[in-house]
Amino acid sequence: MDALAASFPRSAVSPEESLAREFEQRLADCPKLAYRVALGVLHNTAEAEDVAQEAMLRAYRNFHRLRDRDRFRGWLVRMAFRLALDRIRAKGRRERREHDVTRLLEQGQREASVEDLIASREFERQVARALDALPEKLRIVMVLAAIEGYNTREVAKLAGLPEGTVKSRLFLARKKLAESLQCLVKNTPAG
Amino acid sequence: MSCEKYAGWMTDAALGEPCAGRESELLAHAMECDACRESLGRARQLRGFVDRGVEALVAGEPSPQFTRHLRRRIAQESRPQRSAGTVWVSAIASALALAVVLAIMFARRPVHNESNSNIASAVNPISAPPGAVTASVAGRRNAERTAPTGDSRRAAQTGAASPTHPVIIVPRGQLAAAAQLSAAINSGRVDGNQLLAAQQEYARPLQVHPIEIAPLEIPALADVTETPAELIPF
Repeated sequence: MDALAASFPRSAVSPEESLAREFEQRLADCPKLAYRVALGVLHNTAEAEDVAQEAMLRAYRNFHRLRDRDRFRGWLVRMAFRLALDRIRAKGRRERREHDVTRLLEQGQREASVEDLIASREFERQVARALDALPEKLRIVMVLAAIEGYNTREVAKLAGLPEGTVKSRLFLARKKLAESLQCLVKNTPAG
Repeated sequence: MSCEKYAGWMTDAALGEPCAGRESELLAHAMECDACRESLGRARQLRGFVDRGVEALVAGEPSPQFTRHLRRRIAQESRPQRSAGTVWVSAIASALALAVVLAIMFARRPVHNESNSNIASAVNPISAPPGAVTASVAGRRNAERTAPTGDSRRAAQTGAASPTHPVIIVPRGQLAAAAQLSAAINSGRVDGNQLLAAQQEYARPLQVHPIEIAPLEIPALADVTETPAELIPF
């Protein structure tokens, strides 16, 4: 009887409350993931926060529709990526950035070493430009692989792709990025 | 010759090309060839360059206010509130409901309103025997439609209000005839009492007297004289 009484409050929780609690558990680490994905696309902290907020809110609204809760992170990642792309398109920022980076490329070539170059603002912009030029399907695997050093299996799970597809896409993405950044490395002494 | 072969593989292997057989062969060659080892080192440096560049782009964490702000927005979402979409939907539903109610009201509008407009007006009639001619006209719904005049409306109103001026309701097509009849009675050309008597005469039920029919007298067969066939004239 006592056991029954003890179990009563638990069973009295409404489905909405149960969902809210389940979502609450994901608030610990998932916003950071969404933020980083958005940052990889937008390269702007304030906008990345906005997009991450929006992605989390949408995830909250539609959480009840997600049957397999283990896929929440991948679901959120794809949502954040899509929202960030939408924002980029809406603002037409890419053209402006390309214009800026063309100018900054010359500055980047004057850097002293690989370490200095990587730490420089100009290099960051150059990488951002190369990343933006990637097709979306290559970009998302590249961004995810760069977040906390996810391995291929984890990236495959987050992106909802087979592992072999992720490997080949990562390779293609790195190759394209390397082609874009090679000129910087050639003009830089090995560190 | 072999170095040229491996040169194309260097970058691909360093960038993680998914071909394990090639990589082992390349590594074996690089152990023997200084130039290729240096090239491979450069290719790996390029890969590190790429990876670290992208990692630097996505490094960072949301601000401390991020989670607090998110919780507040979630709390607002949880609150039962009417979104703009809900407001629009309810407004449209209300308008539709109102339109339906109005349509039903117009459809069920009493028929007598319409028939009243079909009925003509009233004629301020016969002054002679007050209250004598007060018969309303039957078959009003089949009456012809003509626009009522303002005078006739006024006459109807005044007639209804005054007991000394009875109102005759006539079909619209017969308004002129009724007016002529009224004028004829007022001028004395037609005797109103005579008309009334005729009307009462028509209103009296018919009295049908029974007809007495005498029974047929059939003569007996014996009394009938036979006539030869050849004597019957044609």
